[in-house]
Amino acid sequence: MEYVAGIDVGSTQAKGVILDERGNLVSKAIIDMETNMGAAAEEIFQRVLASANLEASAIVFTVATGYGRYRVTFGDLQVTEISCHARGALAEFPWTRTVLDIGGQDTKAIRIGDSGEVIDFAMNDKCAAGTGRFLGAASFALEMPLSELGPLALQSTRPVRITTTCTVFAETEIIGHLAKGHLPEDVLMGMHHSIATRCASLVRRVGLAPEVTFSGGVSRNQAMVVLLQEVLGVPLNVSAQAQFMGAIGAALYALDHVRAGRRPEHLVKEGAR
Amino acid sequence: MSAISTMTEGLDARTTGQRLVNQWLASLGTARERGQPVAYVFVMGNAIEILRAFGFEMVFPEINSLQTGVRKAAPDFIAQAEDFGFSPDVCSYVKADVGLMLSNMQHPSGVQMPVPDLAVASSLCNVYIKWAEIWERRFGTPAFVLDIPGKRFATWKSPAGSPQHLADARWVEGQFRDLIARCEQITGKKFDSDRLAEVEAHVNEMIRLWIEILAFNQHRPAPYNSMLDGLTYMGVLNAWRGTLEGVEYMRLLHAEIAGKVARGEGRVPHERFRLVFSGTPCYVNMRRLIELFESHGGVFAASDYLTYAAGGLDSAGLFYDTSRPLESLAEVTTLASQMGLSNHFFSHHALAQQMKDFAADGIVYHGIKSCRTVATSMADNREYVTTKHGMPTLYIESDLIDPRYWSDAQIKNRVDAFFELLEQRRNLQSIQER
Repeated sequence: MEYVAGIDVGSTQAKGVILDERGNLVSKAIIDMETNMGAAAEEIFQRVLASANLEASAIVFTVATGYGRYRVTFGDLQVTEISCHARGALAEFPWTRTVLDIGGQDTKAIRIGDSGEVIDFAMNDKCAAGTGRFLGAASFALEMPLSELGPLALQSTRPVRITTTCTVFAETEIIGHLAKGHLPEDVLMGMHHSIATRCASLVRRVGLAPEVTFSGGVSRNQAMVVLLQEVLGVPLNVSAQAQFMGAIGAALYALDHVRAGRRPEHLVKEGAR
Repeated sequence: MSAISTMTEGLDARTTGQRLVNQWLASLGTARERGQPVAYVFVMGNAIEILRAFGFEMVFPEINSLQTGVRKAAPDFIAQAEDFGFSPDVCSYVKADVGLMLSNMQHPSGVQMPVPDLAVASSLCNVYIKWAEIWERRFGTPAFVLDIPGKRFATWKSPAGSPQHLADARWVEGQFRDLIARCEQITGKKFDSDRLAEVEAHVNEMIRLWIEILAFNQHRPAPYNSMLDGLTYMGVLNAWRGTLEGVEYMRLLHAEIAGKVARGEGRVPHERFRLVFSGTPCYVNMRRLIELFESHGGVFAASDYLTYAAGGLDSAGLFYDTSRPLESLAEVTTLASQMGLSNHFFSHHALAQQMKDFAADGIVYHGIKSCRTVATSMADNREYVTTKHGMPTLYIESDLIDPRYWSDAQIKNRVDAFFELLEQRRNLQSIQER
């Protein structure tokens, strides 16, 4: 049996998966990012290998994606996370025509054509407003784990209107509202709403077409799912593997090469330009 | 043997162009010693022909500012302007120029920039007028603002010689007469119509060649990159417009590019994708941006910038009638400004045409953080070419010269993803054609 790997080195986390030659998910792993992207990539690779009980030699092709894709020294090919997220989403939800991925520092909306090709994309620009980092700031300000933010926000009955999406000022904004006597759940719901509105704008920019698949770490937040469905007016596909969509897409690209008989030694190695 | 051929023997047109631009910059610093009056002008709607006929040395503050970007000095100049009180949102060209004023006119090229005796602005960009006001206040420079009628709506046509065109031209001609009176007052010289005709004859030849040079890039592979080599070529076109040196340079350039076309030489060794660039360059990182595209085999075969930033003269399809130089100047200026501006206002049809003429695979829009005028129409323009023409597009954003708005990782990511999209599209097309 031959295997392929997909390594997604993002801004806040590194994700890795191994697929077998039939495309089945064999193992997955996720770690928080370190300063050294190359070391993080190596660590995630070792973790997925260990979890699958495989040696590195069993992996015949590795595709790297994410901002750190050129730091994956053992990667055979680099593909952007735009293409990989689209590919990963289509693999699980074949009728996906729009992908919304909310990651740590990046939010991207991707439009997919009827043949599965990417036809347009839009991303947040030079600013982490409307990304997972905004929720990270809330988690810090409220001294609460990220996983508890969504459930608490859903208990809100009188959401506060949050006017800023600036991650830098998020903390002072939260403290300001709490000082005025607003409940934490109402402040949180307001924050979620401001992110959802901003992300929905990105989706509309590429042209909303159902089905819409929501991926990335923030898709695990139930409040975001609820609010995005409300703002976009369509149901969202959310996979149990939502955080791994990019890595799965990367591994599927690796599998394409293997199936087409292309091996790493056939490729011209490309450095980071 | 001419001055140009002596100085350029064995050099390519791009290197020669860079030398000429540097030579021109250096000459600005010695204008006063030569006793030449100095005019500040812009690249669009500038009446250079009249000013040259009066012997003015021309300073292009836009070129001064972009040169601060090219020479990596823009942050210091911009910071000085912001320290003075200018907002980060104000045009970075203006701020670099203000920084220059606050640096006692010491330009990073080493040239002591002269202060102007006259500033000619136009209605083609509203920032021009506010910029000229700054000079008027700071230097006491008389500003002269030309009001050139623009396009009325997207499909509006004003063919050469039509009543509408002639009415607009008469309006402009009246302003030229006022400008001439102002120039006579400043220089103490009488207007010389023959000298104007002589300048115009040089412009005619330069523009005739420029139109053909732009068209050469319709060849596959494209012999030059519009947004790298093309910027140098256009720099000479602007700075040396109406001069014998300018004509000689365009001849040299024309011959070089024609040779490349005949030999099938492309700018990119393996041209894979032909692109159109819409917007204004990011001079501070242009080489890097081009590298990102060329590494994927992408070449900018065309750009609307090479038209509007050259005053639009090439798009008017008119040449000066040197037997009636002033009237003709007004007629050409009116039409050239309207056509050139069709890259800014009501631009979607012009862009779609360019896309067809140059067999483009995609359009790249470059939004400018400190120029909302340029960036305002890009979203709906982009939607038009995508939905009506099925053209893949990429929108990236940085600035003219402010490096704070350049995010290398983000831009590279978008460019890489755009080429993956173009590859997928091409693969799909080849499957469908089988």
